[in-house]
Amino acid sequence: MSQEKFWVLFSKKVAAEASNDEIFELEKLIQEHPEWQLAVQNLGDLWHHQPQPVDSLEAEDAYILHLNRINELKIPFGDYKNETPVYSLRHYKKWYWAAAVLLIVCAGLITLLQLNKGEKNNTPVSYVNEVSTRPGSKSKIQLPDGSMVWLNAGSKLTYTKDFGKKNREVVLTGEAFFDVTKNPEKPFLIQTNSINIKVLGTAFNVKAYPEDKQTETSLIRGNIEVTIKNRPNDKIFLSPSEKLVVENIVAIENNKKIKVQNSTSRPTIKENFSIAPLVPKLSINKLKYSPVDSTVAETQWINNRLVFRDESFTELAIRLERWYDVTIEINDAALEEARLNGIFQSETIVQALEALKISVPFSYDQKGNNITIYR
Amino acid sequence: MDQNDDIKRLLAAISINADQVAYKELFVLLHSRLKQFAYSILRSKEEAEELVSDIFIRIWEKRSQLTSIESPLLYFYTTAKNLAINRLNKQKRQLPHSPEGWQVQLQSIHFDPEQLLLTEEIMQKIRQAINDLPPRCRLIFKLIKEDGLKYKEVAELLELSAKTIEAQMAIALRRLGKCMQLEINQLNPKMAIPKK
Repeated sequence: MSQEKFWVLFSKKVAAEASNDEIFELEKLIQEHPEWQLAVQNLGDLWHHQPQPVDSLEAEDAYILHLNRINELKIPFGDYKNETPVYSLRHYKKWYWAAAVLLIVCAGLITLLQLNKGEKNNTPVSYVNEVSTRPGSKSKIQLPDGSMVWLNAGSKLTYTKDFGKKNREVVLTGEAFFDVTKNPEKPFLIQTNSINIKVLGTAFNVKAYPEDKQTETSLIRGNIEVTIKNRPNDKIFLSPSEKLVVENIVAIENNKKIKVQNSTSRPTIKENFSIAPLVPKLSINKLKYSPVDSTVAETQWINNRLVFRDESFTELAIRLERWYDVTIEINDAALEEARLNGIFQSETIVQALEALKISVPFSYDQKGNNITIYR
Repeated sequence: MDQNDDIKRLLAAISINADQVAYKELFVLLHSRLKQFAYSILRSKEEAEELVSDIFIRIWEKRSQLTSIESPLLYFYTTAKNLAINRLNKQKRQLPHSPEGWQVQLQSIHFDPEQLLLTEEIMQKIRQAINDLPPRCRLIFKLIKEDGLKYKEVAELLELSAKTIEAQMAIALRRLGKCMQLEINQLNPKMAIPKK
């Protein structure tokens, strides 16, 4: 009996049709049969897996044919403006005002309610859902609110159990591309080591590996608001096609340490003690679109392409390490600084290195997953 | 994933402002699924394409009434079904009028095993299992998983009881689960090893 019941309940759950009671009943059944756990997990993943972003090209072509047909059948389509007289806008104006006032009152009430709530429960947030990728692999996740997240290699995304109910907050370590569904009432918040990002509905890429020198935010469309951890009062607004680069605190601290260690005149200075609050350097650049296919290098990893434009060998080596799950050591200062351009798609690490050798001559040794590069 | 809200928003824009941008957006959003659904009944790509166009011509012509639609996704599918059956009647073609005979193809059986952490072997079994589902079961599975319809909407569209939808979905998932569970018992220790 429990088998049949289980499948009815389980299919209702994945299809978001189950009531609370049914979910409770299902969880009880799963607890009684721990051997089902893995199949349940896999089937759930399978259900929520979207094969690939729907290609709208075909639909857009079909739309052109559709408009043609409308024309042939002489269905009035383009002349709709005549039906709505110009003065109608003025006519509705007072309603706009009424709506605006109502909106402000509502917003005020909501804020008040939330402030009250915030004071009452100061309990720490428990992050239960965690998605992570190993070096060499990528993942695509749909969050409960419908937002899509592509997670690049060696990255981690955590979010609370009640994601989407009260708030939309995630914590990111590593690199991810977000396509956030619009919901002005619940802004989408992303926390990384060095910056916080607040969005309403938009698509953008965040590269925030803690071990990297800098955190990069590339905005494809929409608007986002970025605050930097050490400067909570400064808000940076990004417009589409802009990229914000923030130097990571960790990287700065490491640099400081090195400087301190190098200076022999003041050997007793405390390494971890910073006198003034650290102010990370930041810059806003324009994203460069490829003239050929108008893509942006920053987001190409989603399409399984490792694209690098004018990157130093050191920077590229870090990306290759994550991409191929290898470690790379460069034993030559001039090579470290060499600038490289290219795209890898289906190449193996060996093919990739051979290709790089053409633009910058070097030799390498490979022992298992460890690669040493020298002149 | 309830897309009815998105569709309602677009319909409202079309209805109130005769918004052509929203009209196009709605067309692009629904074109592929409606075409696939129409194709499963008509078995002709050209006719399916024309049928989607017909639906959207109706939408434009009746745009003043669009805001009263409770469940827009169901409205589109019901219109598609009715127009398709009308066509079959007109042409006196000998094709099945009831869901048992509709030939629906699932799109999401082109999974990417890398992202799902499943072996290619298991994926192959899953594809086979989906292909082997009885036609009506496969149709229900597709409408719910890929097209985003709710149980209730599918029941109304196919003129079946909600209990039948529940049972058919249970059958579909049980069959998929079966091809995994067998594998899990055999391959369990290997699952932990990262794939390259």
